[in-house]
Amino acid sequence: MLNYIGAAIIMAAAVIGVGFGMCFATSKAIDASARQPEASSKIQTILLLGCALAESTAIYAFVVSLILATAK
Amino acid sequence: METKTIIEAAVGAVVFAACLVGFIFTKGKLKEMETPDPKLKKRKKLLFIGMVIGAWFLLGVVITAFCGRKPGGLHIEFEMFSQRIALPFGSLTLAKTTVTATVVTLLLVVMLILFRLLCVPKFTDGEPKGMQNVAEIVVEFMDNFVHNATEGHFVDLLSPFMIGMALFMAGCACSELLGARAPTSDLTCTLALGLCTFALINFCGVRKNGIGGRLKNMGGAMPAMRPIMIPLKAVSDIAVPVSLGCRLFGNMLGGLMVMDLLKGVLGGYASGLPAIAGLYFNLFHPGIQIYIFITLSLTFINEALEMPETTKRGAARRLSRKSRKGGALS
Repeated sequence: MLNYIGAAIIMAAAVIGVGFGMCFATSKAIDASARQPEASSKIQTILLLGCALAESTAIYAFVVSLILATAK
Repeated sequence: METKTIIEAAVGAVVFAACLVGFIFTKGKLKEMETPDPKLKKRKKLLFIGMVIGAWFLLGVVITAFCGRKPGGLHIEFEMFSQRIALPFGSLTLAKTTVTATVVTLLLVVMLILFRLLCVPKFTDGEPKGMQNVAEIVVEFMDNFVHNATEGHFVDLLSPFMIGMALFMAGCACSELLGARAPTSDLTCTLALGLCTFALINFCGVRKNGIGGRLKNMGGAMPAMRPIMIPLKAVSDIAVPVSLGCRLFGNMLGGLMVMDLLKGVLGGYASGLPAIAGLYFNLFHPGIQIYIFITLSLTFINEALEMPETTKRGAARRLSRKSRKGGALS
């Protein structure tokens, strides 16, 4: 039972942080591409890369919580 | 059969039939008119939607009645690693995803051989048409992508490698559409892909700068700090394949689990809806992951390709130049 509670806490904490991080990144990217629309394709690439890196922390938490939840 | 099932089926059938009749009637009426009435057009659209919903409900009821519902509600058996199947000889076991990956690879190889035999001889230097356009778009896109990412180094080596990687991952994602567990949602497969990238990073770094240059590159600008920095950088380099593998694995596993949950919740009504959700979770999402995997691989390779800083003074000069440029811009 404690396994599941731990997994849930891990997921919740990680997802809150990642949500904030991706939100900041996206808002800055929107600012940048509104300021310089001709650079938007480059900004998009960087944004995607940054979002992937931010997302990966949530993915690690997901994997860890899966390991916790399926542990016998 | 229970009366409840029969009533449900009857309701579905009646809704479907009524909407079908109304749809055909409205369509005929619309055809007769010279200027189509927007009200009738809207009604036609609504009737079509009702028809689809009725058909979906009827199908779900019938499938549930014939196949039965699993007792005990929603229960998903989930395993981190895929199931293993025993070989007919010896005591070896094989993961199911390994078999899927082999099948995917074989299919890709057969398709590429057919492409080489049937399409490549028809290629012309003049106006391209048919498959030549597709091949040129793919190869040109990847060449440009690699050229931009690594500043023109090793394009001939990296571009085909990345195309192969992308094809393999896309094939694995498509195998999920056929009901098999995607090989990329197995940690062993994604770690193997990450190790390929790791080998490529070191190969490219050593090939360009030599072993000493690679070590200098890892050590950073200050020679005095190198004995401390090189082990630290080595640890962070070893983390690269792990992070690449875990990222792909977690993303694919997430998609797989969401689809499993959807199918489990819908039960007999799972006709049509998982196909629409699968477009996102099985095709679009892996596509983004492929893009990210390749971009990150190229970024790491580019990092390893950087020329090592030779002297302290050179680094300081470069830094001051950069700051001056930044000052001018702002």
